[in-house]
Amino acid sequence: MSPLDRRQFMGRSLALLGAGGLGALGGATAEAASARTFPTSARSSEEASEKAQLATAVPFDGPHQAGILTPAPAQASFIALDAIVPERLALQEALQALSARARTLTLGGPYPRLEVDDPPADSGILGPLNAPDALTVTIAFGASLFDGRYGLAAQRPRRLTAMPNFPNDALDPTRSHGDVLLQICATHRDTVVHTMRELLRSVRGALQVRWSLDGFSSARRGPTPRNSPRNLFAFRDGTANPDVRDAALMDRLVWVGSGLDEPAWTHGGTYQVVRAIRMHVEFWDRVGLTEQQNMIGRERDSGAPLGGSEEFEDPRYDLDPDGKRIPLEAHIRLANPRTPQTADQRILRRGFNYQRGFDTAGQLDQGLMFVAFNQDIARQFATVQQRLATEPMIDYITPVGGGYFFAPPGSHGASGWVGSGLFV
Amino acid sequence: MAFLLFTAVGIGGGGEAAAHPRPPRPTALQAYSERAAERSGAAGVSGAPPAPELVPLPARAFDAPIAAYRGYAARQLAAMAVPLAQLRRALAADQRGAARAAWEVAYADYLHLGAVYGEFGALNSAIDGTPGGLPGGADDPHFTGLHRIELGLWHSAVPPHRLLGAAAQLTANVHLLRRRLPYEQITPLEYATRAHEILEDAIRDLLSGVDVPWSDAGVLATAAGVSATHELITTLRPLLDGREDAIEVLDSALTRLDGVLATLRRAHHGRWPTLAQLSQREGELLNGAVGAAVEALDQVPGALETKLPPAIPTLPKPR
Repeated sequence: MSPLDRRQFMGRSLALLGAGGLGALGGATAEAASARTFPTSARSSEEASEKAQLATAVPFDGPHQAGILTPAPAQASFIALDAIVPERLALQEALQALSARARTLTLGGPYPRLEVDDPPADSGILGPLNAPDALTVTIAFGASLFDGRYGLAAQRPRRLTAMPNFPNDALDPTRSHGDVLLQICATHRDTVVHTMRELLRSVRGALQVRWSLDGFSSARRGPTPRNSPRNLFAFRDGTANPDVRDAALMDRLVWVGSGLDEPAWTHGGTYQVVRAIRMHVEFWDRVGLTEQQNMIGRERDSGAPLGGSEEFEDPRYDLDPDGKRIPLEAHIRLANPRTPQTADQRILRRGFNYQRGFDTAGQLDQGLMFVAFNQDIARQFATVQQRLATEPMIDYITPVGGGYFFAPPGSHGASGWVGSGLFV
Repeated sequence: MAFLLFTAVGIGGGGEAAAHPRPPRPTALQAYSERAAERSGAAGVSGAPPAPELVPLPARAFDAPIAAYRGYAARQLAAMAVPLAQLRRALAADQRGAARAAWEVAYADYLHLGAVYGEFGALNSAIDGTPGGLPGGADDPHFTGLHRIELGLWHSAVPPHRLLGAAAQLTANVHLLRRRLPYEQITPLEYATRAHEILEDAIRDLLSGVDVPWSDAGVLATAAGVSATHELITTLRPLLDGREDAIEVLDSALTRLDGVLATLRRAHHGRWPTLAQLSQREGELLNGAVGAAVEALDQVPGALETKLPPAIPTLPKPR
């Protein structure tokens, strides 16, 4: 992901016009629209940085879907959809429409001008030109899509089930599961909101919303650019994530490939676990700092493992077998014991904080939209989750929703679409 | 029955406390500013937080309070036999209204155990467990106890006598708990922490309606938690005296909460309203009073430390 300069961005816009066959809008018009929205001389550096963020594009197509290894931007929405059409072809068309629309939106650019007495082709809430804004749309399928309705049962990813109730869960069925999950991420909230509106418009009769949740990341407040963002317990989250630049590691932990007894269409995809975990933040705020830090195993300010001074320091559990420095039931210790035996249980986390108002007791309804990508849910996520069943933090959190999904490999070319491997 | 119990340990106690004039309490902002000012001199507002100021209490100082609470809890469990017998009789006669009334009393009695039920583990789950974490949810065969009966009485067309098996099992489990209660261990830290955690749980699970989805008895259940908190604070009073201003602050907050609960009960003709029956104003008053109480009670564990937090060993620098 890198900021595109104006020339590159306009080039992409023009390419889009060609590819999408939107010939009604001439290149000159696109040039004019771009020039209005992205002036070359920004008035301030803030404005310039805002423009650079807006001009950043993440390609929709590729061997893997975007939004998995891509660094998490500030804003996200998760929308679980249920397929309501009776036949397979209608489902296929809806999935094609999702990819086609998502590709256009992630690329950015102008949209076609329709006749003046027709409803416009785009809601227009981002203006006449859609800036890409690091937008990614990640499409994933739930186990229920592979029931008898669409003749897909034989192609179900072998490790895909409905998410079970873990011991401390209070899953609300109306906030859990779903046939299709859309993960929409971008730098600005309005881009996410616009994308949701446009995508749903394109599949209205085929896919209906089951649940949704909006998320956000903490701003990158440092002290270094590498520091992990904070969750709503104020602790850094994602510190021990495997390195996404290590392709061999990603092949071991994230991507489904050959040798796993999985259908060929799944290769290059990954299992996505999403869990809406309510965090009882008022209660947390009434707990002493020592107890908070012992529950997590890290210092709140720096994110360093207890006794250390730097976030990414190895906690060296081998030197602390009795938990005198980091309690044996601390979250980081149970989640990732850092032993050779647990190395292949690691998951790639890409969560977002959420805030959705208040409950009837006047308490903030805040928490974590936990998102994990992994190659094998039983070997990785579920094993870790079972280890966490006795952590002291369980009093302060309640998992209320989410589900297990499979994010297929990425799409190729202008007519490619996510999930096409299922319909050959 | 429930009314008598609440009067005895809850509202009655609060009324007595209200008779003594209290010094004006600092506002939350004043308290924050005072603390910030205290800290800025010594360790600063950033950097390592300062160590606790109070001298730790000896652990044995908690023996008498915990023994007193244990006696109270035993009496509550014994008292629970009466509504449980009423419940079984009403179920056998298919009297849904009488069964609901008996269930409410039994449930409130159980919640009066507030300070100790966290120690009961699997037995607590069998008595007071909710279907959330079970593989089969509300249909799971392991979903038994008070909330299974609640589901049957409020949210099912099945005749009440079909719940007799669950009621018998509940009665047996409560008996078992009575026998085990004298042997349950609770540490001073756990006991002191329950001072605010009873109401923390009430806010999270009861006032929100989450644990009582069918009866909507969140106010009744919260009031039971308030009574249990009163009882616990009563046992800790000798220890809290002279520990900064902890006792004054929490007496004031609990008195206010008692007053709000008494007002609600009067306004609803001597019965605990369901959460849905609370007007917006009543809900705000109750949420606010409970919230202020836990903000005061969260000082108790710090005020009653039995040891200073041990120094954390330093992580060796990687070479």
